[in-house]
Amino acid sequence: MDEVTLYHWEPNANSGKPMLALMEKGVPFVSRYTDMLLFDQHKPEYLAINPQGTIPAMTHNGLVLTESTAIMEYVNDRFDGPDLMPADAQDSWRVRWWMKFMDQWLGPSFSMIGWSVFVGPMVRQRDPAELDAAIERIPLPERRVAWRKAISGAFSETEMAESRRRVGLGIAKLEEELGKRPYVGSDQYTLADINIFNSTYSLPLSQPDLAGKDKTPNIMRWLKRVYARDAVKKTWAMGKTDLASRYGLIMAEIEE
Amino acid sequence: MSAVLYHGEPNGASLTVLAALAESGVTIECRHIDLLAGERHALSGVTESIALDLGIEGEGPVLMVDGEAMTESVFLAQYFDEAAGGAGLQPADAYARWEMMMWCRQITERLSPAAALLGNMANAQDAIAAIPADAFGALASSIVSDDLRERWQDLHDGKIDAAQIADSEAKVAAAVERCEKQLADGRDWLMGSFSIADLVTYSWLAGMQTLQAAAFADASHTQAWLARVAARPSVQAALAKATVPEPLRAWAPGPEINRWG
Repeated sequence: MDEVTLYHWEPNANSGKPMLALMEKGVPFVSRYTDMLLFDQHKPEYLAINPQGTIPAMTHNGLVLTESTAIMEYVNDRFDGPDLMPADAQDSWRVRWWMKFMDQWLGPSFSMIGWSVFVGPMVRQRDPAELDAAIERIPLPERRVAWRKAISGAFSETEMAESRRRVGLGIAKLEEELGKRPYVGSDQYTLADINIFNSTYSLPLSQPDLAGKDKTPNIMRWLKRVYARDAVKKTWAMGKTDLASRYGLIMAEIEE
Repeated sequence: MSAVLYHGEPNGASLTVLAALAESGVTIECRHIDLLAGERHALSGVTESIALDLGIEGEGPVLMVDGEAMTESVFLAQYFDEAAGGAGLQPADAYARWEMMMWCRQITERLSPAAALLGNMANAQDAIAAIPADAFGALASSIVSDDLRERWQDLHDGKIDAAQIADSEAKVAAAVERCEKQLADGRDWLMGSFSIADLVTYSWLAGMQTLQAAAFADASHTQAWLARVAARPSVQAALAKATVPEPLRAWAPGPEINRWG
């Protein structure tokens, strides 16, 4: 009997990827909600699972897996259920290319903006001494820097401008891509859709100047198609913060 | 299907892809292009260009299949392996595959940008700085990606960032340490059986042996492993495509240094 446990935060960005991949494959898993805003991922009990202190992480029959996109690939390779990678080698290449583009070029910019408007302000309300101690417990030095910047709102204007440039360009490129094919990189729903959906599902709300029915009709058609999936509905129902409630608002807008 | 692999000198990303092609047994026409002359940004017949325009790897090879420009060396290696119906470059076991992809990502995210920075400073900066202003302007304007163009511009301007150099040296040393630890149990190849991880790691590390010799001084396992990879017929075949005497000293602007550290 397979024992799968997933340590995750909200169905959003990185945590949402393996949640959705497991749900699509129909793999039962134990959900361990790990509250990023309470720094659960840097506490000793979690560091015993993933010493890097990053979420998500997954355990499967004693094996530990980290890095959201790599976990999704493992889930797809290892379990029965619908294949979330295309059969054609060139389509597979395209799916991987888009995931890297999101994970390493566009995603960090989305999250810089997300942290500055959402995570930073939420965390900042807490006791500074307690926050400082929490940051000191973060194992990866670059994550310590990122958290300090997010909490103090210290992303420089140059950094924010570059992130905004990337988000604008990335959305335009995604719009172009979805004008060529029904899904990202291929004609079927794959890991690339899961990956990119997790960072773009709220675009019509978070970036109304860049995305919406008039500006990005292809993205909106694709979002609607992905929102309609059972696995997406079930996964988003696992959310506990306002992030998940944005789902309902967008559904309402799409249905109009 | 019409396919052509456009590649630079066999080093870094071009070396990975040329060697993977040879390992896979797939037959594809290979055409050498002069990366430092900007030829990668002047390819004809591109109908799908996003991967060429916005690829993360910098001046890596481009596989053109029916007008679609395909980039990123690890994914091209996987493509050859899969197009061959499984040439053994990726482990069959799902967990071993996950380990390989994690390893490759560490290399391409940390070692590749560091090695490219050091390699370019040592071996390409003079050539890029010597491009006359007019010609450089034309070359720069043919580069679609703002961030890649900026890396070219920095080399052209002779910009030196001491903190970035120190960070890159530390990342090369860390990659050697990682290899040394991985090979400590006496295994021949990084993942146990030979895989894309060996090719991608070799491709970025081999050129560092001359530039960062101290990092390899106490790394006997890594040195022996580098020699094993170098001796593979696929790597020899890739290196034989060089048009310069020392391809491991041939560099062109690479991936950007991770913006979040």
